[in-house]
This record gives sequence, structure tokens and C-alpha cells, in this order.
Amino acid sequence: MSLSTTNNDVFENLRQELRRGCLSLAVLSQLRTERYGYTLRKALAAQGMDIDEGTLYPLLRRLETQGLLSSEWREEDKRNKRFYRLSPEGTQTLQQLVAEWKGIHASLEGIL
Amino acid sequence: MDLLDRYLQAVSFWLPKRQKDDIVAELSEDLRSQMEEKETSLGRKLTDSEVEGILKGCGSPLAVAARYLPQQSLIGPTLFPLYRFVLGVVLAGCVIPRCLIWLGFLIANPSHASYLHMENLWSTVVFFGFYTTLAFAIFERSGVQFVNLVDWNPRSLPPVRHPNRIPRANSLGEIAFGLIFIAWFAGLFYPQPVIDLYGVKITLAPVWSYFFYGFLLQASANFLLACVNLAKAYWTRQRATIRLLLDAAGGVLFSFVFRSHVLVSVNAASLTPEKSAALTTWLNTWMPSLFPWCIVVVLIIVAVDGYRIMRLGKYPMSPVLGVQVGA
Repeated sequence: MSLSTTNNDVFENLRQELRRGCLSLAVLSQLRTERYGYTLRKALAAQGMDIDEGTLYPLLRRLETQGLLSSEWREEDKRNKRFYRLSPEGTQTLQQLVAEWKGIHASLEGIL
Repeated sequence: MDLLDRYLQAVSFWLPKRQKDDIVAELSEDLRSQMEEKETSLGRKLTDSEVEGILKGCGSPLAVAARYLPQQSLIGPTLFPLYRFVLGVVLAGCVIPRCLIWLGFLIANPSHASYLHMENLWSTVVFFGFYTTLAFAIFERSGVQFVNLVDWNPRSLPPVRHPNRIPRANSLGEIAFGLIFIAWFAGLFYPQPVIDLYGVKITLAPVWSYFFYGFLLQASANFLLACVNLAKAYWTRQRATIRLLLDAAGGVLFSFVFRSHVLVSVNAASLTPEKSAALTTWLNTWMPSLFPWCIVVVLIIVAVDGYRIMRLGKYPMSPVLGVQVGA
């Protein structure tokens, strides 16, 4: 394995780690309004936060298990779709996370 | 849609039964939406290779299903260091003594070495490795805590110890034992025609005098080394090498006592001449059989001493205390 390949792998791992924490915040913020999985992905991608289906749906499931989201199956355009939205607990947690994010952002701005 | 159905079936195979339908329905909806969007943009139905491209982009069925499952590990990160340590000790306990015994036989009596069935070593390693792993997996599931991770006190941690430091208690023990041994050995086993060992008259062959002075010299040198170690409490390469040579010399002398037929006769007041002769013959037959075991013990001691010399190169200075180890 060449040095540049190793460096790329290291960068990719670090990038994934950096993104992982941000994804939950991004998903929660987009679910202030009700969406189903595919439109949520499109909305996130439109704002530069690409997320594949293999990552999004397990994340939605986890957030729902934690009580931050609520969901229901409904028919739309002759197909059953699962719609997600923030629960009251999720709204509160999102506010806390946004405050935390702003704090981290401000700190990093100073450090970097 | 045949490819899509096959893909969803493959994903569902790995999913937990309770969530299977729900997850597959949601994934199916997403993939169908992607396909519809692409068909709309192309203005035609997708070809199989285009569908294949979308499914490949989603990931292999096993990888996709794995993301829905809780993170699972046989032994978690908290218990893992302890597991690795115990596994190492257990496997070393299986392999090292057996190899040393085999080596002892190989040196002393190669024809007996084949009786040890070294080919069984692998199955022994697998057996002990499996049960150690199983035990830790059970501990992991049952939530048994070996180490208190919450209510712990830094004061209860062991003191910092440099690996090359010689504990003073060890040096004092060696000095005391050395003095007692030299006095006892020189008093009882001084070469003379008949040695009186607590009422038992032992006649030793003239070759014993070489062993006697050898043991005495080795014990005296060890005593002096212990005195130096007491004054300078860190191993140096020079002193560690002297310890290795002394231990090896003592071990070889001790081993060869058993195969040199030093015992001429054993007599005691309570023994008839016939019984004395029988006992002498039995001892002279039995003693050489101990030789391989002595060699094994010598090899273990030499290995420990050799490791000490190796460790000196590895830790010339304490990284914690900054103690310079003098030459």
C-alpha cells in the first residue's frame, strides 16, 4: 500500500468521523417539517449534505428509538411511505444540540 | 423489478424478524423513488444494468442489513484488554512448558521426545483458546465487572516500578539464603570418604569434589552479586550477564550430578546391608532419569535471565521516573 493511499484512507476515516456527529444534527433540523426518507435525502443533498440510504434509514430508526422522532406510514402517490417528524423531546434536544454546535463552531473558529 | 426484489430479499435475510418487513418496505420505497426519478429524467424505463448501478450504489445486502443491526461484539472494548492478557497467559501456559519439556527430552533422550505428541499442541491451544473466549463472551453478556470502572481510587493503583529495578527485599533474601546455604552445604557436603547426613552415611565418588567446589564457587559468586545488587538496585547488562552465566553454570552442575553416578553407597543404622545395596542401586538408576527435567528447569531459568538482558536494551531509562540506569 502506497503512502498516498494510506493518507487518503486516514483522511477518509477522519472525514467520516467528522461528518457522523453532524449528520444527526442535520437530520433533526430537517425534520422540523414532516418528510419521508427519500425527500429528506433530497433536501439534505440540496444543501450539500449528501447521505446514502444505508446511513440515513438506520439513523432515523435510532433517533426514533431514542424518542427524538415520531413516524407514521401513509399512502402518497399510490405508495406507502413512512413520514418522520421531530417529537416534542426531539425539538428540545435539537435546541440543545444547536447551542452546542454553535459553541463548538465558535471554539474551532478561534483554534483554527 | 426482478433485480430489486432479489436485492430486497437478500437484505431481508440478514435482518431481525421483528423489523424485517418495516425496514424492507422503507428501503424499497426509497429505491423505487430513485428509479422513478431516473426514468422521468431519461424518459424511458431503466435497463437492467441501470437498475444494477442503483442497487450497487446502495451497498451489498449484508452491508446494508448490518447498518440496521445494533453494534455487536463478542467481547466489548472494556473487557477486551483483560481478555487479551488472560488469553496470552493461558496460551503461554499451554505452549511454553510443553516445548521446554520436549526440548529437555530432545537434548537428554531424543527417543523419548516422540512420546510427547507435539502434534496435539495445536488442539490444546484451540481448546484453551476457545474456552477462554467463551468464558469472556459469557462475562460480557452477563455484565460481570472485573474492574470497578466508576468507583475507583488513584491511591489504590500499584506503585510505579521500573522493570529493571531489583527489589531490595529480593537482594536481602538472596544474601540471607546464600549465607545459610553456603554454611550448610560446606559443613555437610565437604568432600571426604563418608558424609554423615543426619545419621545417614553417604559415600560419594571422588568426582564429587569437583561438584562440591563448583557449587561452592557458584553460591559464593551469587552471594557477592546479591550484595552488589543491594547497593546498586538497577540491573546493568554486566550484572545481568553474570547472573545468567552463574545460573547456567549452577544448573548444568546440578543436572550433571544426576547422571555422574556420584553415589557409591548409602548406609543407615536401620538398614541391613542388602537393603542399603538395593537402595543405592535404585537411587543410581532413578537419578539419571531426572536429568532431562533438570535441563528443562535450567532452560527456563536461562530464558528468564536472557529476557532480563533483553529488557535492559528496551528500558534503559524509566520513562516515568527518569531514572538513569547506571552501567
